[in-house]
Formats: sequence, C-alpha cells, structure tokens
Amino acid sequence: MSAVAASGRTAAGEVLSRWAILGVLAVLYAIAVVLSDAFLEPVYVGNILRQAAPVGIAAIGTTLVMILGCVDLSIGAIISFSAVLCAVLMAGDAHNSPLAFAATVTAGAAFGAANGLLVVFNRSSSFILTLGTALAIYGLTQIFSGGTARGMVAPDFREFFNHRIGDVLPVLALALLGLAALLEWLLRTTRFGRQIYLIGSNREAARLAGLPVAAVTLACYVISGIFAALGGIAVLARSGVSSTFTGRGFEFDALAAIVLGGTLFSGGRGTVVGTVAGTLVLFIAFNLVNILGFNYNLQLVLKGAIIVLASAAYARLGRDR
Amino acid sequence: MALAGGPVASLAHRAGIYGLLGVVLVAVLAFVPGFAAATNLSNVVTQSAALGVVAIGQTFVIAAGLIDLSVGQLLGLSVVLTCALGEGRSELLLPVFAAMVAMGGAVGVVHGTLVNRFHIEPLILTFGTLSVLQGLIFAYTDRSVGQAPAELVWLANGRLLGLPVAGAALLAFAALAHLLLRHTRFGLRLLATGNDADSARRAGVDIERVRLLAFVLSGVGATLAGLLIAGRLGTGYPNAGQGFELDAIVAAVLGGTSLSGGRGTIAGTVAAVLLLGVISNVLNLLEVSAFVQTFAKGLIVVAAIVATRTRSGARLTTGAGPAPGTAQGGRR
Repeated sequence: MSAVAASGRTAAGEVLSRWAILGVLAVLYAIAVVLSDAFLEPVYVGNILRQAAPVGIAAIGTTLVMILGCVDLSIGAIISFSAVLCAVLMAGDAHNSPLAFAATVTAGAAFGAANGLLVVFNRSSSFILTLGTALAIYGLTQIFSGGTARGMVAPDFREFFNHRIGDVLPVLALALLGLAALLEWLLRTTRFGRQIYLIGSNREAARLAGLPVAAVTLACYVISGIFAALGGIAVLARSGVSSTFTGRGFEFDALAAIVLGGTLFSGGRGTVVGTVAGTLVLFIAFNLVNILGFNYNLQLVLKGAIIVLASAAYARLGRDR
Repeated sequence: MALAGGPVASLAHRAGIYGLLGVVLVAVLAFVPGFAAATNLSNVVTQSAALGVVAIGQTFVIAAGLIDLSVGQLLGLSVVLTCALGEGRSELLLPVFAAMVAMGGAVGVVHGTLVNRFHIEPLILTFGTLSVLQGLIFAYTDRSVGQAPAELVWLANGRLLGLPVAGAALLAFAALAHLLLRHTRFGLRLLATGNDADSARRAGVDIERVRLLAFVLSGVGATLAGLLIAGRLGTGYPNAGQGFELDAIVAAVLGGTSLSGGRGTIAGTVAAVLLLGVISNVLNLLEVSAFVQTFAKGLIVVAAIVATRTRSGARLTTGAGPAPGTAQGGRR
C-alpha cells in the first residue's frame, strides 16, 4: 500500500517537476498583473512575446542539444554573425531578403555542423568545445563587420515581422510560437525525437542498441545552429541593428530559459513548451523591472535575482516528492 | 583500452598541456623576433598573473563538479572597490585587502549555500549572480573611480631582482593551492566529491561543506586577482573583469581539469594560463589585429582541446556527467 502511495507520489512529483515552470510562469504573471495593469492588455503581452522571440527561437533549437545531454554555448556568437550577415546581404532592399535568409540559415547550419562534428568525433566536453567555437565565430563576425555595425536593414523587412496580426499578435511572436510547435511536434511524434530522448537518457545504451548516436548528435547541433541563425534574423527584425555584439550573452539567457523550462543538464528530459515558458518568465521579469521604473543597473541585479529565485523555486518543486 | 589505460592516459593527458606549452615556447623562441627579450618574457608573466589566480580558483570549483561564471564580475567589483576605498593611500591597503578577501569569501558562501540548500544548477546560479554583480558595479559607478595604492601597482607591475613580482605572487598562490588540492584531506575530499558525489557522501565526506569551500576559494581567487588588476590599471575601471570567467574556464580545462569533476591539477592550470598568455603576446608582437586575435584564440582553444583530449582517449561522454561504464576507477 505504501509502495503504491509512494509511486503515486513519485509520479505526481514527476508531473510537478516537468510542468513546474508553468506554475512559476502563472505566479509571475499574476504578480505582474497586480503590479501593473499593462500586463492585462493583449497588445502588451504581444510585445513581450515579440521581445522574447530572438532568445526564444534560439533557445528552443538548443533545447534539442540539451535533451541530448550536450550543450551549445556558440549560439550567442551565431546570432551576432547571422544578424550582421543578413543585414549586409539585404543591403537595405527587401527584395534581397530571400537570398539573405537562405545564406544566413546556411551559415548557421554550417556552424552547427562544425560544432556537431567536433563533439561527435572528439568526444570531449561540448561545453568547452562550443565555448571555443563561440570565440572563433565572434572573431569572424568582427573581421567581417570591421568591429562596427554593418549592413542595412530594409524597412519593409522590419515592417513585415513587426506587423500585428489582428492588431495584437506581432508576426515575430507568431514565428516563435510556430517554430516551437514545429520542434515540439518533432520531439513528440517522430522517431528522430524519440532517439534524442533515448540518447540523452543513456548514451552508451543507445549506442549499444544500435541507435545512430553520431548522426542524431550532428543533426541536433545543425538544428541548434539553424535556430540560432533564425534568432539572429529575429533580432535584426526587432531592433534593426546589426552590430558585432548583438547576440553577446544570449547563450546564457537561452540556457537559463531552457533550464527553467525543466530540461536537465544531464539530458534525457525536457520540452520545447517548457523552454518557451522559461523564456517568457525571463522576459516578463525584465518587463516588470522596466515598468516599475528601475534603472538599467538595478534591472541587471533583479534579472540575476529572478534567475536564481526561479531556478531555486523550480528545483524545490521538482525535488519535494 | 580506456580501462587499462587509465593512469597512462591520465599521464599522457597531463603531458598534453606541458608538451603543448613546450612546443609552442620552442617555436616562438625560434621564429618570433622579440619574444625572447627579457622584458617581453616578464611581460608575459605579469600579464598572465591575474588570470592565473582566477583560473586556480576556478580549478577548485570545476574539480568539485561545479562551475563559477561570476568570477569575472566579482573581479571587476574588487577592482572598483579597491581603488574607490583605497584612494591610493598605503595605510588603507591592509583594511582594503581584508575587505576584498571577505567579499570574495562571502560571495562564495552565498553560492555554496544556495547550491546546497536549493540544488540550483551552478551554471545557472552563477550566471544569475554574474548579472547581480554587474548590476551592482554599474549602480556604483559607470566610469573609472579612485586610485590603486602604490603597493598594488608595484605588486602588479614591479620587478624584484629583475623578476616580475606578479609572477612570484602567482607562483606563491599556485604553490599554496597545489598543497591544498593534493596534500590535504580537504583536497582529496574535493576531488572525491567531484568524481562521484554520492559515493563520497556515503564514504562520510561532508559534500556540502566541500562545495561551499570550493566556491569560497573561487570567490577569494577572483577578488585577489582584482587587487592585481587594480594595480595594473591604477584605477577602478568597472569593465575590468569582462570575459575573465570564460578565459579562466578555458585555462582550467586546457590544463586538464575535467568539466565533469574529480580531476584537475594546479600546475596544469598554470601551464595553460601561460600558454594563453604566450599566444596572446605573440599575436600582439606579430601585430595581428584584435579581431583576428579573437578568431585565432577560438581556433586555438578548439585545436588545443582536440589535441590534448584525443590523446587521452579515456572519455566517452560529451555532456557534463560521466557516462556509465567508463573508466571511473582509473580517473585518478
């Protein structure tokens, strides 16, 4: 009897820990609403989604790598490179957009493939390898841009992505939600998705069972690179600025979002929905700090405090079984 | 192969960073004009000292199976406060020194307590505190403030019998750290905790205390390095610590510290710091642009990791944790 009760509690704990982030998100949103009416306005919520889009899009791609039990610290650098490359190729004319998008996504995929090959064939820590490739990609971006902002964004391109569907939901926000739905579908219903979880749970067992560990790892890094490139395009659409350091630090914002969303560093567990919720927690928090009129320095302090508090709350919920 | 080659692989791996440093040194001594000059060599040491101190602190946390991303901003805060509080006055040197050590220790205690009590992922926790510390620095000042006491300037830039004082300071700090890691009960417990926390706990190790002390060492390392940087800059520059955390992690890992914990040497870390210092010095001597340097540094990090890791060949994991069935017993 007690065993049944215990297993019931474990299952409940499992569910709790998996979806704790939704609770955190709901609580934070409720606090935000109490502190400011603005959070009740659909347009404002749409704005938050739009702000969250660049980090969110990159984070959902990297979620796959994390479920695999690896990590990708190069996404901030890929975002910067992509923003600069896309702006340069666009050269202020929206007609160049398809070519610019294609080239940017290809570059992201190439960087992802380089990361994936290094991780697959070198078998050393993906943390340090992608830290190294991040430096190299930052260097490439600086060489390419000459250290300043370069390229020009077409006004039509920005207008399109910031256009509000039904006067509420910006296209950029829709892009985040659509891409997240796509990846969640990929993880949940395809064989590739199941293989990611299996490899993440036990890499060695997966290899012995004949799963294509190397190919899946490579594919996840390519996806991470592509989504980072899309994140770079999203930054460009949101801000219009293509400087060398556009994406600096985004990798850690993304990691915070992913971990808040319930993906484990050790792999084998995690959801794209959780990552999106984690991203929203971060951005609601940033907005809250802003709307309360704190200056940027205090925002940094509170941002850090919120990351710490939320992950503490999350770890608590997940562990109290 | 991995099982039988445990100690051998570990030896080859350790030779990896020293071998690499040796080869690079021979090459640049032979081919780069101006590198061998006494002033240049002592510059390399002087410029590497602060990173060395931070990286040694980082070696403790990484070997304990943790990580500390906050050290760069903590170093920055130390630089700013040292100069702002010290105001260049020698009589304030000791109080400021004590305050900085206390501050580093306090940040470490906060990290350790939060990790122990709330089981927060150290990477995320210290990323959060990085942001907090950065905010505190810039809330305090957004421009350079104060002045470093003359003693610190001497410590950071001076020479004694023709040798750089900062190098001697690094050497002394490294020697103490080496004794602590290799020849005390705490050091062995730290490595055991990093290797397998559950087993260590079952063997009676107070792993919470070990983790707390590891963070304290990392915090104190960062604030001490802040004193050196304050001496080098002469004034409290708020951005002084930017990027130190990543360089420190790179140095520790290049030096053979395993990111999954349980393995690491102070000598290896110091060798890696010198390697990074030599490379950056040579790129400067060759007048390579800062942009190309960043690119080259990235490639060199990747190449060095690949070179030293593939030779060890003992690891099957790509992630943070040890893969089941790998040479657990042969780690040390």
